[in-house]
This record gives sequence, C-alpha cells and structure tokens, in this order.
Amino acid sequence: MDYTIRVATLEDCKDIYRMIMELAKHEKVSDQVKIAQRDLEQDGFSKNPFFQSIIAEVPEQHRSKDGHSKVGYALYFFAYSSWKGRSVYMEDLYVMPEYRGKGIGKALMSKIAQLGLAAGCNQLNFAVLNWNKESMDFYLSQGCWDVTTGLDYHCMRCEGPALEALARGDPKN
Amino acid sequence: MDFMIRAATPEDCKDISRMIMELAVYENMPDQVKISHEVLEQDGFCKNPFFHCLVAEVAEQYRTTEGYTVIGYALFFYTYSTWKGRSVYMEDLYVMPEFRGEFPGKGVGTALMSKVAQVGKEQQCVRLQFSVLNWNTPSLDFYKAKGAQDLTDSEGWHVLRFDGEALDKLAQMAPKN
Repeated sequence: MDYTIRVATLEDCKDIYRMIMELAKHEKVSDQVKIAQRDLEQDGFSKNPFFQSIIAEVPEQHRSKDGHSKVGYALYFFAYSSWKGRSVYMEDLYVMPEYRGKGIGKALMSKIAQLGLAAGCNQLNFAVLNWNKESMDFYLSQGCWDVTTGLDYHCMRCEGPALEALARGDPKN
Repeated sequence: MDFMIRAATPEDCKDISRMIMELAVYENMPDQVKISHEVLEQDGFCKNPFFHCLVAEVAEQYRTTEGYTVIGYALFFYTYSTWKGRSVYMEDLYVMPEFRGEFPGKGVGTALMSKVAQVGKEQQCVRLQFSVLNWNTPSLDFYKAKGAQDLTDSEGWHVLRFDGEALDKLAQMAPKN
C-alpha cells in the first residue's frame, strides 16, 4: 500500500486529536485525555512549539471506511543530555489498527531519526511499558537498548498538589 | 539568605560543565560525559535553546577552597504529553556536597527544584519529570519527600534509546518521498 510521511500542519490537528482519542478509547482511558484539539494547535504551531509532529497519509483509494486518509502520526520534541548533547524524544507513535503491518510505524520512527540527526541529535529516546512485550520486542529488534534496565534509571514524576506545593516553595519540603 | 538562585548565563557554562562532571563521577559514569562547556554555550544560549539552566550562587564568604561561588545547578527543558499537555523535564539537579543538607537558609537543592517547578508553572506546565538512579537512596528519599512518584516501579515504564550505529541505520530507512 502506498503512503507518504510528511510534516504535520495546523490543519492536521483535527486528525491527530482523533487518533490520540482512538488510542485512549482502545486502552479504555478516554477520561485521561485532558487536552483539547485547540491545545494541540496552540502548543504545536505557535512561535515556540512544545512539540513537532509527522503524519502518515494514504491516497484517496485507501481511505478508511470513515473517510480518513491520515492513518498514523508521531509526535516528538527536542531534548537534551548534559552528557551527550542534543537528543530527540518520541512521545507518541500510532498507526490505525487496519493500517498496521505495512511498515508505516517503522517509517514514522525512521523519519524522526532522520530529522533528529539533521538537527544535530545523537540519541532518540522514548518510553515503553515493560509488560507490553510485543512493543518491547519490536523496538529491541530494531536496535535500541533499554536504558532503565541497562543503567538502572527510574522515571519520576511530580504533578497535581505535589507540584503546586513545590512551585510555591512550601517550607516543610 | 546566603545563596541565590538565578538563570544561568553563557559565562556560567564553565562552572556548569565542571558540575556536570562532578555529578557523573557521583553516578559512577565519568567517561560518559562527551560534551564541553562550548557545546553548552551553543545549545543553551542560541536563538532556540535546547535547554534552560538555573544556578545556585553563594555569597563571597562561602567560596569553596578552589574559589567557586556557583555551587549548584538545575538543567531542564520543555516537553509534551498528548494526554496532559505542557510539561517540564528536569535533566540534572546537582548541589556540591559541602553545600547539601543544612546549609544556612533553605536547602539549595529544594530551592533549585522549586524554581524549575515555578518556571514551568508560568508556562502552564502540569508535570515535572526526571530520572533517578535506583541505587541513589539519598536522592530517591529527597524526591519522594516532595511527593514524586516512581513511574518505573508503579506503572512499568522503561526508557529505550537509539544511538550510535543503530540510530544511523534507523534514519537510513526513512522514506525518500
């Protein structure tokens, strides 16, 4: 099947948002998505964007039964390692179920690697749930390595009331 | 107060570079530091910087024996969650050993991390994320006391990486259209 990978535009936000919701619905966690399409537009297409995005598009004759020709996306941003320098972080990689198995996911990921190298990056990082064996096996087969297992780093997060307290500089913590 | 937290300037990069190396030594990986202070100057102070940095500076009378007054730093950048929106990632947080613990005034590390959270809040960020080595108990305790969750333990998140030849190979497979 023919498909093209291209940089996303403001007009693509509708489809990116649709696909974000598809994935959340599939994982039965739609209520976890707190951003709106408008946030994607503002945060990705303003003067200092928080992210970059690429789209996988199929020609007319391969549109989905709902009429969609934008069938996959990847969302990424530039990051930094104080040891190695510029890096790129792949936040999302998604292909609609009926379009999988055709190399679209791999093509999206490759495009990010290419864009990252062009921008002077020497690492592409992303996160996977360790019980998601299918994804883990796929990524490891592509040549990446598990930083968490290999170097023993744990991912940490502050949010909600804890983040509020930290920002206020509450004396007790 | 006997120390201040301020935004780093290009002139601070030599001190930041020094402390990056000190942190790498602490993490038992000194041979992993590949970038110089010149690279930090380019990447952190250009038109579209790859990172932002805060430094902690002490008053003259607290200079170290080598004469340093810049004694801690936090290096961070903005990230994005397609579910929650704008976030901030704290890549490094470091305070020289002699300035940790009960240094006059509030803890330097806490002040640096609070400032990162505050700066993030001004940009409407809803999350602050970072990594900790699993054997680094003092740091894990420090972060957990501030309400941080360990996502690797609680949800099973692992970070995977493409670098070196594997990254080149992946990029070469990109469609030519």
